[in-house]
Amino acid sequence: MVKMANKKTRGPDKTQANTSDIVVKKLDDATDIVRQPPVFTNDSKYICIASGRQIGIYSVESAEKVHSLEEHTFDVIGLAIKDDNILLSCDASGETIEWNINNGTTLKKAPLVVAGIKEFHSFHYPGNGKVLVATPSTYTTNMSSLWIVDSHTRPRKLFADIKSTPHSIAFGCNQGNGSLVVVALQDHSVVVKDITNGVDKKHMTDQRKFTCVALHSEKLIMATGDISGRILIWHDFVHKSRPVKTVYHWHTLPVNSVCFSSEGEYLYSGGSEKVMVKWRLGMSRKQFLPRMGSSIKYIVNAPDNICVATSHSDNAIRFIDSTNKINRAIIGLVKHDPIRGFADTEPIKESVMPTGLVFDPRSHGIFFNAQAGFLQLFDPQKNSLIFNMDVANRNVLTDERNLVIGNAEVLRVAVSPTGEWLATLEVWSNMSAGYHDMNLKFWRYDAVQANYELNTDVTMPHQDRVTALCFQPGLLGTEMPCLVSIGRDLKFKIWRLVDDTDIYRQKESWSCDVAGDFRKLTPSALSFSEDGSLMAIAFQDTVTLWDPTSINLNTTLSHTLVQEPIELMEFGRDNCFRYLVCASKSALYAWDVISQGLVWKVGQLHSSVRCLVPDPKSCYMAAVLQNSEVFVFSPSSSKPVHSVPKMNSSEPIAALFVPRPNPLASGPEWLINSRLLIVDDQQEFLCVDDVSSAGFNQKLTTPISHMDSLPWTPFSAMKAEKQISAAKQLVPVVHQTSGIQGYKSVQSLLETSASALPPMSRICSLFMSDLMIKHGPKAVTAKVNSVDRTSTDLPLSNGHIDSKTQDFSEETTLQKLLTLDCQWLVETVK
Amino acid sequence: MASFKKTQIRSLPKIGQKVTADTLYWRKLNFPVTVKEFGPIDYIDVMPIEPYFIAVSSAAKVQIYNPITHQVHRHFTRFKEAAYGASIRSDGKLVIAGCDEGHVKLFDIGSKSLLRIFKGHKGPVHRCKFTTDNVHVVSFSDDKSVALWDLPSETEIIKFSEHSDYVRAGCVSSISSDLFLSGSFDHTVKLYDARSPTGSTISVDHGSPVESVLMYPSNSIFVSVGGTELRVWDMLAGGRLLARVSQHHKTITCLHLASDGKRLVTGGLDRHAKIYDVQSYQVVHTLDFPSPVLSLGITPDDFTVVAGMANGLISMQHRQTQAEARALNPKQSLKVQKKSQTAYRFRLNADFRSVNRTFNPATDVEVATKTDTNFVSRYDMFLRKFQYSKALDTVLTPYIRKKKPAITVGVMHELIRRNGLKSALAGRDDSSLSSILTFLARNINDPSHANIIIQVANTLLEIYESSSLTPQSEKLFLQLQEHVNREVEYVKHLMEIEGMLHILLASTTTQARRSSTYVVQGSSVKPMLPSAAAAANATMIFNVG
Repeated sequence: MVKMANKKTRGPDKTQANTSDIVVKKLDDATDIVRQPPVFTNDSKYICIASGRQIGIYSVESAEKVHSLEEHTFDVIGLAIKDDNILLSCDASGETIEWNINNGTTLKKAPLVVAGIKEFHSFHYPGNGKVLVATPSTYTTNMSSLWIVDSHTRPRKLFADIKSTPHSIAFGCNQGNGSLVVVALQDHSVVVKDITNGVDKKHMTDQRKFTCVALHSEKLIMATGDISGRILIWHDFVHKSRPVKTVYHWHTLPVNSVCFSSEGEYLYSGGSEKVMVKWRLGMSRKQFLPRMGSSIKYIVNAPDNICVATSHSDNAIRFIDSTNKINRAIIGLVKHDPIRGFADTEPIKESVMPTGLVFDPRSHGIFFNAQAGFLQLFDPQKNSLIFNMDVANRNVLTDERNLVIGNAEVLRVAVSPTGEWLATLEVWSNMSAGYHDMNLKFWRYDAVQANYELNTDVTMPHQDRVTALCFQPGLLGTEMPCLVSIGRDLKFKIWRLVDDTDIYRQKESWSCDVAGDFRKLTPSALSFSEDGSLMAIAFQDTVTLWDPTSINLNTTLSHTLVQEPIELMEFGRDNCFRYLVCASKSALYAWDVISQGLVWKVGQLHSSVRCLVPDPKSCYMAAVLQNSEVFVFSPSSSKPVHSVPKMNSSEPIAALFVPRPNPLASGPEWLINSRLLIVDDQQEFLCVDDVSSAGFNQKLTTPISHMDSLPWTPFSAMKAEKQISAAKQLVPVVHQTSGIQGYKSVQSLLETSASALPPMSRICSLFMSDLMIKHGPKAVTAKVNSVDRTSTDLPLSNGHIDSKTQDFSEETTLQKLLTLDCQWLVETVK
Repeated sequence: MASFKKTQIRSLPKIGQKVTADTLYWRKLNFPVTVKEFGPIDYIDVMPIEPYFIAVSSAAKVQIYNPITHQVHRHFTRFKEAAYGASIRSDGKLVIAGCDEGHVKLFDIGSKSLLRIFKGHKGPVHRCKFTTDNVHVVSFSDDKSVALWDLPSETEIIKFSEHSDYVRAGCVSSISSDLFLSGSFDHTVKLYDARSPTGSTISVDHGSPVESVLMYPSNSIFVSVGGTELRVWDMLAGGRLLARVSQHHKTITCLHLASDGKRLVTGGLDRHAKIYDVQSYQVVHTLDFPSPVLSLGITPDDFTVVAGMANGLISMQHRQTQAEARALNPKQSLKVQKKSQTAYRFRLNADFRSVNRTFNPATDVEVATKTDTNFVSRYDMFLRKFQYSKALDTVLTPYIRKKKPAITVGVMHELIRRNGLKSALAGRDDSSLSSILTFLARNINDPSHANIIIQVANTLLEIYESSSLTPQSEKLFLQLQEHVNREVEYVKHLMEIEGMLHILLASTTTQARRSSTYVVQGSSVKPMLPSAAAAANATMIFNVG
């Protein structure tokens, strides 16, 4: 039973992998702070915010976190203030905890017992030891039943089949006799119950569905919002069957939240228009607070009327003071609203997180989508947001009632190898008008100002959708940086920084250097070799290799065995630099760019590869399948070194290897220097990591031992625990490729005059051996080691001769593509 | 609350000559006052102190002009044949000139009397200069020699005869009285030091007959002109060539510093004077003259530019003063004045509104600090209130529509984004419809705006397709159609031409390839591809009409 609940709710999610050391952890979702409405303390000095399994207590004055309460093992579903400084919280399993707000200690833990139900939807605390909890409805899905739980009587069911959202239940006191009144929303009606007097009422209006309800705690007036944007104020709804209603209608979109001020003079309402409306009840006056950034989810009023807190869908809570101005905000990691209006054929990644995860080498953060037109930088080490950047610099437009109005969206991001340059591609397309607008922007990081400055803005860089952007790696900073873009207009374009300085101004700007195409085929994937000396562009099933400086086509690679269009393509890193791994719809295979042969292929994948990510710190690569299986492999062989079975029902969107600040002491080779982050379609972060390494939520700074033993002094507090020097230089690996096989010997043969040549029989074997493809020295020594374990320090040439015959046979088999190794896949399917 | 972001107006840079600070500076020169002399103007020298008299040597006389009145102040005619290279001493009291007889004559400007005659050269003396100590004279003669004379004793101190051809150019150092440069028709420029009588200290080869030389005030660099080239030499490095600039297409004849030594001016037989930046040697401006320029003079304050020409014309140009500018263009200046008045009044109001009154407890004085008023334009104001029709109206006023079409297009773009174009265009009367239609017809050919204009035109057609139109609007719709047809025709022509060019290019590349097979060692010929701009042009297809 517990396990079932575990799966359904957002409980702790630890899946055991086949290797016991490696686990998949859900990255702490403490950042989602707007799932539950926040709660002010009675003195209005603190605000309590539920975020996943944690509760944060923030100061209203400074918007800084004061305490972090972490005792719950399931997601918190409701918060309430019990007494002046006691916070009551309840999680999805029904465990309630009482906390002391002042020092953040646990006072009492008690489970809720409601007729054997183990799962709860929402939690309210009207006072006097009575608790209202919503549980899943027995017959209809997505509906709840509301129970009242008292310490000395049996739990009583108040309503069945009410809406399960947190703001569809409200309660208040009848001023006359002090009895508790509870109201709840059904789709087209409001149900009212006076607990002490046992009065039951059901009010219906018309066919407009209700969305939210609020009740003034003392005056017994009720406000409801509906999907047409209308707000109704109900008077005397407990006793009369046809109560008096006042209509307040300004919103055009559904009202998301309504809230009374504590004296009942004002009503606050908000919705997807991103406008908070402040109504003066009984009068026609209203005030607006427009352009709040993102649609309003909840509005909560402080008990002393000093401020109002609004929760927004961009994961921020903003405080509005009495002069109707936003003066503070608590901002978490922003979830990107999926882009609407894409064709169904587009992969889900394009709408949920089109940029994917892009590593920033400067800050060691990750770039990905924030709100429409914004880009955020997330620090995976500290698990915090570094900044949120406005790329589009446009007013965010809201929908009209029957009309979806699109906003400019950041679709692609690329960061230069040094982190100095950031390229963003923003797209705005109006499906109904058919108008298309695209901007490629180049931003330069200004270290003094500590922000990005717009350098160049290119309108319509391609005539159609841009598929990929990539900076050329491996440049040491002396050369002008270079960006490659490929688009569905069949072109690839190379953008270079051009110095346009004259005596009047200093100016550097980007301009298109080359635009090329290849046989009028659609380019689908783009990758640079690690040292930047080779550029690979996939055109359907053909891989083309280009020299990035001269833009000469070196070779094209294609094979009859692989004829599906390539979707993803990556060069191997480190000692696998020569392998180019490609993924098509159902197959994964690797080319050797030096010998220009297909090395291995794994066909008939039962789910397409969604992400193909190389680890920058090792030679390994991870392939994340659509059904959330993960395979980690070395590009040189088809055997995976590690595989993670299906994690859950969610679909992965993007993945990235994130380097660790300190390498792991022990563990598998691919996890020592980095760990794998995966984002699913709910935009939740999963992490494939070693079980021994510290979790994300724990502090990564390890205290130095002798510091602990020393007595504490005021000066020791001033001294930094750890000193980091930024003088580390980025040194890209430059590979020494062997060039054309046997070129030298052929050259020498041709240069020497025929008369001076030694007899053919003598030079034949030498000449032939020069022409043969040699394995990398590592592979050779390994082979030798396996033969003769005692001599580890064999000279290279010796080993070479020893393994010659073996190599040769293997060479031919490789050319014919022998390794169709699907064994590992069959195992995992089972 | 996030502030309202202004509508982005996308204005593309204009192709053509860039307006820089220098062009504005040199454009302020007035229409020239010209004086006709009898012979070509050999040399112009400007008195280095006020009132900046100009010494002009032409034919057999030297005239001193007043730069303000353009009248001859003094003239010296005591020459038998042509007089050359009259130069004024730095205190403005004496003038010296060479002549065809080989004499160098010294005059007093105040009394016009001939004070000294330096005899000793066997050929005509074309250039002569006072040294910095004002008591010596250097003369450069056609007898291939350079001589240094003592002024009080009228004797020759030293003579260098190193050149093998006429010496027609020379200058003295502004720091040391012992250093002087000579440039000769034997292509060399030589630096002499009077303290070392053995010979020249530096000798550089200019590559063509040297017409003029100039030493920078810092004395570390000197410049020589001759042929079509200007060469810059480093004196401290023993005559290392720093730069070669060739901007004239005929012989450069003269050389002058301007703008306090920050600009270099060269005049040439191609009737241009080019102004260079002395650091980068880039041309920042060009002055045009009616005849080949032989000599140039610029007053130290840049107020007057004098050019002497081969046909004997002297052109004197003054810098425009503000009063003159106002007098020249009274209408515009009136407008500016009026505008500034209204702006002032408006600003007063704005000031009043946006003042933050803060109470300063220390002094008990109310301090008013002004915050930056960020100006919200009218169309943004209407867009903010979702009044799309009014926003479009404000950008269709004749001034914006004609002078700043980028604003109109920007607002139209914003309306497309907001899905409000249809409602903004619908229900218009005849006059406003005609203003939209004329705007569309005017700008539909502009490739930078075309995609938005086409979108607007399509929406307009959709809205007014079925409504009955007045004959006037109907005519305008037909006019728009004609514009589109013409554009389509034009693009078709362009594509035909491009096709022809492609054939030509393709044939040349195949030829090049064939030839490269014959020549085994020849470097591979890179196929010529059309430029990116041409490729972009080729794909531009209008799908209207």
